[in-house]
Amino acid sequence: MLIGIDVGGTYTDGVLFSEGSVLLSVKHPTEENDLEGTLLSVLDELLARAGRADVRRIVLSTTLVTNLLATGRGERTALLLLPGSGLPFSAYRISPDTYFLKGGIDFRGRQIEAPDAKEVEEVLKKVHDSGIDRVAVAGKFSNRNDAHERMVEDRARSLYPHMDVCTSNEIAGRLNFPRRAVTCYYTAMTMREWNRFADGIEAAIGARSPRSDVHILKADGGTTTLEASRKRPCETVFSGPAASTMGTMALSRESLNAVSVDIGGTTSDISLVIEGLPLYASKGALIGGHLTHINSFAVRSIPLGGDSRVYEESGELRVGPMRLGPAACLGGAEPTVTDAFNLLNGLGLGNADASREKLQAVAGRLGVSLEELCGKIADEVVDRLERNIEEMFGLWEDEPAYKVWEVVHRRKFELHRVIGIGAAAPAIIPMLAAKMGVEHFLHRYSPVANALGAAVARPTLAVEVHVDTGRRTYTGSPGGLKGTVEKRSFQLEDARELALDCLKEASRERGLADYAGEAHVYLEEQFNVIRGFTQEGKLFDVGVQIAPGFIHEYKGVA
Amino acid sequence: MKPTGVIFFPAFDWAISPTHPEREERLLYTRDQLFEEGIMDMPEVREYHPRLATAKDVSRVHFCVPDVESRVTEAHMVSAGCAMVMADAFMQKEVKNAFAIIRPPGHHAMTVVHGNRGFCDINNEAVMVEYLRRTYGVRRLAIVDTDVHHGDGSQEIFWDDPDVLFISFHQDGRTLYPGSGFTNELGGPLAHGTTINIPMAPRTTDEGIHYIMDNLVLPMLDEFKPELVINSAGQDNHYSDPLANMSFTARGYAILNQKLRPDIAVLEGGYSVETALPYINMGIIMAMAGIDFSNLREPDYNPTRFKESAKNMDYIRSLVTHQLAAFREREKVVEANRKEGREYYGSSRGIFYDTEYLQEEQRLDLRMCPDCCGYRRISSSCVHHSGRSYSVFCISLPAACCPDCAARARQDYEDMKKKPGGDYLYLQDRIEDEYKTFETRTGRETTL
Repeated sequence: MLIGIDVGGTYTDGVLFSEGSVLLSVKHPTEENDLEGTLLSVLDELLARAGRADVRRIVLSTTLVTNLLATGRGERTALLLLPGSGLPFSAYRISPDTYFLKGGIDFRGRQIEAPDAKEVEEVLKKVHDSGIDRVAVAGKFSNRNDAHERMVEDRARSLYPHMDVCTSNEIAGRLNFPRRAVTCYYTAMTMREWNRFADGIEAAIGARSPRSDVHILKADGGTTTLEASRKRPCETVFSGPAASTMGTMALSRESLNAVSVDIGGTTSDISLVIEGLPLYASKGALIGGHLTHINSFAVRSIPLGGDSRVYEESGELRVGPMRLGPAACLGGAEPTVTDAFNLLNGLGLGNADASREKLQAVAGRLGVSLEELCGKIADEVVDRLERNIEEMFGLWEDEPAYKVWEVVHRRKFELHRVIGIGAAAPAIIPMLAAKMGVEHFLHRYSPVANALGAAVARPTLAVEVHVDTGRRTYTGSPGGLKGTVEKRSFQLEDARELALDCLKEASRERGLADYAGEAHVYLEEQFNVIRGFTQEGKLFDVGVQIAPGFIHEYKGVA
Repeated sequence: MKPTGVIFFPAFDWAISPTHPEREERLLYTRDQLFEEGIMDMPEVREYHPRLATAKDVSRVHFCVPDVESRVTEAHMVSAGCAMVMADAFMQKEVKNAFAIIRPPGHHAMTVVHGNRGFCDINNEAVMVEYLRRTYGVRRLAIVDTDVHHGDGSQEIFWDDPDVLFISFHQDGRTLYPGSGFTNELGGPLAHGTTINIPMAPRTTDEGIHYIMDNLVLPMLDEFKPELVINSAGQDNHYSDPLANMSFTARGYAILNQKLRPDIAVLEGGYSVETALPYINMGIIMAMAGIDFSNLREPDYNPTRFKESAKNMDYIRSLVTHQLAAFREREKVVEANRKEGREYYGSSRGIFYDTEYLQEEQRLDLRMCPDCCGYRRISSSCVHHSGRSYSVFCISLPAACCPDCAARARQDYEDMKKKPGGDYLYLQDRIEDEYKTFETRTGRETTL
């Protein structure tokens, strides 16, 4: 049996899933000040239903880190930067406690300027004296050479052993120094709280269901073990939308181009699935106004939901964006989008007379019939959703391209299916799909798609290696991979093998070895390094990943 | 404040040959530097997606022999398309200025294209200029070519166009490819003085170039009053460039762009792929976006390393005086040329295509029109790389063509069709935006 729990901002959903069926789903309001308590109360109900059966895996999606970062309640954390030459230091407005250090590395990992040990010690002392004990260290091109970051880390650890120190090359290895610095900064800021939470969960689950594997859902729709999450708490942000999208994919199960529309009370969340894989935000997750190196789904949230208020203003029909309460048919004071669809499609939701009465008043003010009004509201909702979906296609199609091939074979999004989730989806999604000329998909498990998505999502892991045969080095992410390449005739195949070996090693460390065989190559670049018409070496960038998907035992829903 | 538009198209899958300077690696470290700096994430910068130029876009400028498809690589079509994307972004006021960091380059490509010259198939800036004129009705422009090599292609294309002020500063043609760009090359008889060349001695420094900027380039732009300024932004004046011998720095380039304030900059050459390009490209973006670049420097930058010699400064000062006078005389000279009352002005020349070792023979006749800058008739022959020999006849109407020239040019084309001589006959009708090719052997005509 499998358990998935999604701790959302308002509700916490949990499912107990076995052999294609949801045996029990549980929904509790989330106690923001006691996430652990909420989570355990849901878990206990699910475990009670499981009885003596073996729960093999429990996956949790939580808002703990998202809340800490979004509300600015993270503890004071110092950011030590080694930017070297380039943008002015004023470009790095990340932490109020930012310190700049000497030291420079170039794109091939060569030292341009050495760090100054004395300066490092002075800065660390200042940090310590201002009562800060969390430190993030980030240097430009530290992903190509981590020596300077290591040196600062070593000084900090030996001088102030009580400090939490994170280095950026360990957290994220891709190019983009500001995003690496931010990701490292947020990691240092949340690590202690996350570990406290992980300790609590580990002990609680250990006592209740000691044989279960405990995984955490990440922003990229994959899971990681609770243990591995301790080093990278930031990866757990925005796992709620990831859970929903993984849930819709688990239910629809086909390698199609689809759009998933989660229609809630106040907002609708739209995400794209391209050939069966969810679309990521191309620039990484945006947290607290800063871009990060965290892979997260490209989710567009629009202020339009089932509870959006419908009213008249200066002779015009208005739909949303405010929510003043539930639909009139469910006892609300104002008519809503749900009321309109209730009448239009004869849904028989709650007190249909209340829908009729409240909408009639608006229709009267606009001088149209009730039927016309409902039709107009439906058109407006469908149009707005369609427009947003098409803008998302457009943004995806307009991503920068760096190769001739990519421009000549320009990508074009061809939609196959609209997948609906959320309570209002059955009323709205069929109309939207019909308008867009594609099929729609709704499932009886849609209301618990988020928890189900968490329950069956498989682990993900991406490894990128950068090989410089001229300098005989390789570096890689995540986790500050590095080493030397000895082979003289090192080729792309060797780089691919190296990346896969690194991934295997990393997946072993993280307890994900079962899925290492499913890794595939997603990035492959090679360049000849030519100086004066002769070849001095080659540069390779190879990325391999276990992409988001489902665990082996998941075979679809019955 | 609006952002600076940037399009970065490194053509990571295209090279002239594996070890050629124009190879995949050329913008690799620039990519690393730009991405690592995260400059595209800044609110001051907006990144754009490339597109392909069409055969019609190319035909507004060039006569590709025998046709665009078989002559021009897809890489060049993307590169020119990128320049057009930047033009759109600028004209539609999405950005305050725009920089196309693209390869392959274009400024050695001339009107007639038989093959690749100086790493260029087609002229990215010229394709963009005619697109700007056609789409947005722009008429007067200035192109400042800051590449170390003389922009002989751009010069040739706009030679007879008095509405384009083409300024090229470059290492003296006696010491570097393409061996042209001397002070006496001032434009055609009806566009005299709107081509200005500034040949500089090898090893000229930031100081020299900024003197030229302040005392010649900027005053000319002030007086010419173009609607748009384009920087044909080569980066091979850098002290570390392997193909040239100048002593500019990345900061020098940044300051240059701060002074020039180009509306659109388009990357041309620059082959110091590790030591110069990453820093110069950063510097140009920062200067155009108004980001402080005082922390930007090459790894081996030393502010005291290069000092301009007194002798070279003397030369530069006299060069500036001389060319400013030539520029200011332009209207007088054009008037005198018109008064000569010739019907056509003819000239002949040979053009060498260094990349492919081709030799083109060309004759050009310009109509000395009393009302406009005249239309051009070009006959050209060349043995192509394939061994096949082509002889073609081209008729080109300027964008600001008078009705009389337009009628005569179209009549010339119809007459030539009846008594064909060469292999192909072309009509470049910028007024109707119609580009005709007539294949003599088959009698087939195609129109773009």
